[in-house]
Amino acid sequence: MVKLKVDRDALLGTISKMKSEGWEFLVKITAVDYKDHVDVLYIIRDLAKSKDEILEVTLQPTDLWLPTIFNIHQSADWYERELSEMFGVEIKGRLVPRLFLEKWDGIDPPLRKSFVWDSTYRTSDDKQ
Amino acid sequence: MTITRINIGPVHPSTHGVIRLVVDLDGDTIVKVEPHVGFLHRGVEKLAETRMYMQIPPYTEKLDYVAPLAYDEAYVATVEAALGIEVKERAQYLRVIELELQRIASHLLGIGTLCNDIGQMFTTFMWAFKDRDMVLDLLQEATGSRMFHVNMRLGGLHSDVPPDFVDHTISLMDYMEKRIVHYEKYIEKNTTFKERMVGVGVLTKEKAIELGVAGPVLRASGINYDVRKNRPYYVYDKFHFNTKTLYDGDNFSRYKVRMLELKESVRIIKAVARAMPDGDALGMPIKLRSPNPVNRIAVVSRELPRGECLLYMVADPQKPYRLSIRSPNMINLAAISHMAKGARFADLFAILGSLDIVMGCIDR
Repeated sequence: MVKLKVDRDALLGTISKMKSEGWEFLVKITAVDYKDHVDVLYIIRDLAKSKDEILEVTLQPTDLWLPTIFNIHQSADWYERELSEMFGVEIKGRLVPRLFLEKWDGIDPPLRKSFVWDSTYRTSDDKQ
Repeated sequence: MTITRINIGPVHPSTHGVIRLVVDLDGDTIVKVEPHVGFLHRGVEKLAETRMYMQIPPYTEKLDYVAPLAYDEAYVATVEAALGIEVKERAQYLRVIELELQRIASHLLGIGTLCNDIGQMFTTFMWAFKDRDMVLDLLQEATGSRMFHVNMRLGGLHSDVPPDFVDHTISLMDYMEKRIVHYEKYIEKNTTFKERMVGVGVLTKEKAIELGVAGPVLRASGINYDVRKNRPYYVYDKFHFNTKTLYDGDNFSRYKVRMLELKESVRIIKAVARAMPDGDALGMPIKLRSPNPVNRIAVVSRELPRGECLLYMVADPQKPYRLSIRSPNMINLAAISHMAKGARFADLFAILGSLDIVMGCIDR
């Protein structure tokens, strides 16, 4: 599987170009927190050739945002919501409902390494 | 146009798990469906970062509790890819048999509950559960456990099968072949079933690619993609079987793909069981220390009964640094808004049933 590093500014252009070349199936958007930076991964497939390619965008923890790719791949909808909730990555370009799986309020994004396990966390319902 | 908003759930019996659907209706016609998920969220991806490699399978098994063995294998295969461990030859054959048995059990449950949901065809439900039970008995014979097997070990299996397992498997598959024909005759002659399935909840080929759906839902829309065929693993490439693809993309096609896959699974199991070599199938015993990873990143794709599961793992010594799971059910459920648009309200449950989702896998 080929891994391609992409700048945030070039992301939309790259994905659009790939789609026109046959990479039309978005398999998954996920991320890995390496503490000093966060890698967001777009796994895209060419169904005819049965090949996958990973686009990797590196973000700094102080500047966590990405443009939405929803207009290119509709399947990005729930993945972007998950990315936003679990990693605190702001998705610009469309309204992403913040709460998706966890529905916790006002805490660190759970899949970031800075998240600390603590029994004091409460859901928004508990606070009321 | 007056819009009526109806809230379904958070519990509904046509799904395996808990889901809430907010439906906007114009009269009896669906304008919009918004699924709300997360009720079964357990944070398995985060939990995996705090456990040793072989302490995790009991968690991943419970993601899709209708096909636990398939998830067990997908996770262990990812760890094997990261640690650079080869699977023993006999274990490869046995894994394929167990995975296909699991597929049969899972599809039988999906078809049984679908029939029950759409037209009170309770007979099919009972038949399917009885036959599924026989498959689970066979899995119990092989693994020692009926539901949650935790049978995969690094490089092999927890235990080899008893001596008469192959004979039992082949005789059960002979029985299953006849039963599948029986199911088809009974279900597909039923007028209620056909009226509620044919031409309802259509997902075109273009839309299926755009929405990125997986497994039987993808193949029912005319896309011939099956991980077992396109990227064969274990001994799948040594045996001939067909990927079943249909082109209508409606509820009936999704049901029919599963039915045809049952036949193919029976065929695979028989062929693999007859060709199974002797030898050692046992993997590494569970112990706290496993070998250090040779690959920092492992990406493994598997064809689960409900679709393709892709696991992305960043490996650290002894435990995952990050485990990311692509749930086939999640992406299939996300497509429901498109499938149900313009359908009648009562058809929503037929569409939901034809997707055969398991919420544990979606919520993780």
